[in-house]
Amino acid sequence: MNCTLEGLSVKAFGRAIHALARIGDDLWLDPTDKGLALRSVNSAHSAYACFLFSPLFFQHFSLNAPSQQCSGSIKCKLLMKSVLPLFRCLTSIDRSVERCQISISDSSDRVIFQFLCRHGITKTHSVRFQECEALQAVFSSQQCPNVLKSPARLLGDMVMHFPLSQEEITLSTTPLRVSLRNYNEGGNDRLKMVYTNMALHPDEFDFFQVRDDSDITFCLKELRGLLSFAESHCLPVTLHFGAAGKPVCFSVEDVVLEATVILATLINSDNRNSQPTETPAPTTPRCDGVDDTVTIPSSQGSPMNQGCEAMQLLPHIYNANDPCVSDEADASAATTPASSVICSLLFRASEQNDDCFPTKLPVLASYSDDDEDMEENGVEFPSL
Amino acid sequence: MKFRGKIIDIACLNHFSRVVTTIAKLTKTCVLRLTPDNLFFVLSGKVANGGVSMWCELSQGNFFDEYQMEGVSSEDNEICLELSPENLSRALKTVQNAKSVKVKLTKKHCPCVTVSAELPTLSSVSRVVTHDVPVEVIPRRLWHELKEPSVPDFHVSIYLPPLKTMKNVVDRMKNLSNFLVVEANLNGEMNLKIETDLVSVTTHFKDLGNPPWGGGSEGGADPEGMAEARVDIRRLQQFLMGQQVTPTKAMCNIVHQRILHLVVLHDDASLQYFIPAVA
Repeated sequence: MNCTLEGLSVKAFGRAIHALARIGDDLWLDPTDKGLALRSVNSAHSAYACFLFSPLFFQHFSLNAPSQQCSGSIKCKLLMKSVLPLFRCLTSIDRSVERCQISISDSSDRVIFQFLCRHGITKTHSVRFQECEALQAVFSSQQCPNVLKSPARLLGDMVMHFPLSQEEITLSTTPLRVSLRNYNEGGNDRLKMVYTNMALHPDEFDFFQVRDDSDITFCLKELRGLLSFAESHCLPVTLHFGAAGKPVCFSVEDVVLEATVILATLINSDNRNSQPTETPAPTTPRCDGVDDTVTIPSSQGSPMNQGCEAMQLLPHIYNANDPCVSDEADASAATTPASSVICSLLFRASEQNDDCFPTKLPVLASYSDDDEDMEENGVEFPSL
Repeated sequence: MKFRGKIIDIACLNHFSRVVTTIAKLTKTCVLRLTPDNLFFVLSGKVANGGVSMWCELSQGNFFDEYQMEGVSSEDNEICLELSPENLSRALKTVQNAKSVKVKLTKKHCPCVTVSAELPTLSSVSRVVTHDVPVEVIPRRLWHELKEPSVPDFHVSIYLPPLKTMKNVVDRMKNLSNFLVVEANLNGEMNLKIETDLVSVTTHFKDLGNPPWGGGSEGGADPEGMAEARVDIRRLQQFLMGQQVTPTKAMCNIVHQRILHLVVLHDDASLQYFIPAVA
């Protein structure tokens, strides 16, 4: 693959890298005939982002080696921390860099970033990559009952009220009102936290469709990258979401690029209590079906049952079906066995976070009637 | 106990927010004391905060368009709340362009100072944001710790040079030493000194002027004689960093080898900051 960017495109590309860097530690480069896709997923698999730059975005774009069957299947994974420094100084990059060439040759194991700068300086960075299955989330937005569209500015103004340290926020929507508040885990700081709530009228959105009232909680940190990208390009952001526990998708579209961030949402405590036994049931079929949830084809290599075991460990806490991870069946993937479709608990389900669950529970419980939970966690309520 | 205030004027809002930000730069927690006429931000000099104390006084009429309060009782018509000025500052900063901001004492999950703002929008309906800043209500038996500090019987009082200049000097000196000696006399001269094994640096200021305090301390004292206080440089730096706007007057009083008393006067607010001298 060989592509060339000039001037402001370099800046936009750099901004995309910055937005992706908020998500994960690895960057997937996936050149296809639709353009160059940059993707990332976080370690807990609760957040995924994809920027697709169409060939029109580039001054020049070619997928070479069309002769081989494996063409277009150069799928490489780069370390984010080795790519990010190349686009470190974005404010001046469009002035200092006249042209940027990115090339991946079939024979080597490196991606070459070449910056042709002012005064005839050429900087060449070659970044070694790891060959890897492409990462791809399939999120069917049609299935989402709720759709909001707004200028990036509006969303920016909404999240501005939350401190940078804020981990998660809750978005509540009804046909009459949209509100955003910070979601706080239990713990000692609970009393020291500032609770922030903001309410908006649906009129403020360019497009507003809320079929089901919903309360979704998702990570804010991973979202900020996309929002600042959209804000700097003055692009409207579309949200697709459903009930708590289902993923939420933020997308931005332009003539030459598309960007998507998909975040897992915390399962709502009401759901958890009302149908505790049912929750695990629908997970297995959904994992197989690529139809209604996110599937992230990847070569993470975890066998399917591993994911299911993890689900059973925590059936009451998280909706285990969201989003699923699976290996993509692309042109060359006929060899990929279907059984390698795996399922992963995306939201905060990684091992290192297991310890957090006891501290999170009090907050989940605070909206419920589950006395046991409250006593167990020593949460004091004035009404008790 | 009741308190509610409303700010409509955007200049007042900005000013209030600047004052709170200044306080936030000085201390992690402080006491907000509300009386019918004034608001005070108070930090009493405890060992835990390095012996530093602070007294900031605002006249409510200069900030609030509406202001109602009902204290603990009719004799003690006051409310004292402990809070993190950083939280309050952040809440106020995000509502800088609000049409109106209400600040009130509420009982939520815990006692809170609720800042609720009506933000302008493009549509006809405005956006509402509320920030609940948790506070702790200070019982009356602890109020005696929150009395206004009396102006110490200082040896020298002097106007400060522009705080920006002073900040630049102190910032550089901080790289060299942890302690700084402030010395001044009644002849308008002030020196900032650091002394370490390797280096001694002094910055001299002159013709600063001495505020007239109406007789008192200077009776017959030698105008050239220096009073000095050796202070933790971080405290002084914090104070200088926090100053958001050029004050009407800034001065410092020195009780020889005991206290550095910094006073900043604005039209509608005053701030006193006491840094204890160290040996």
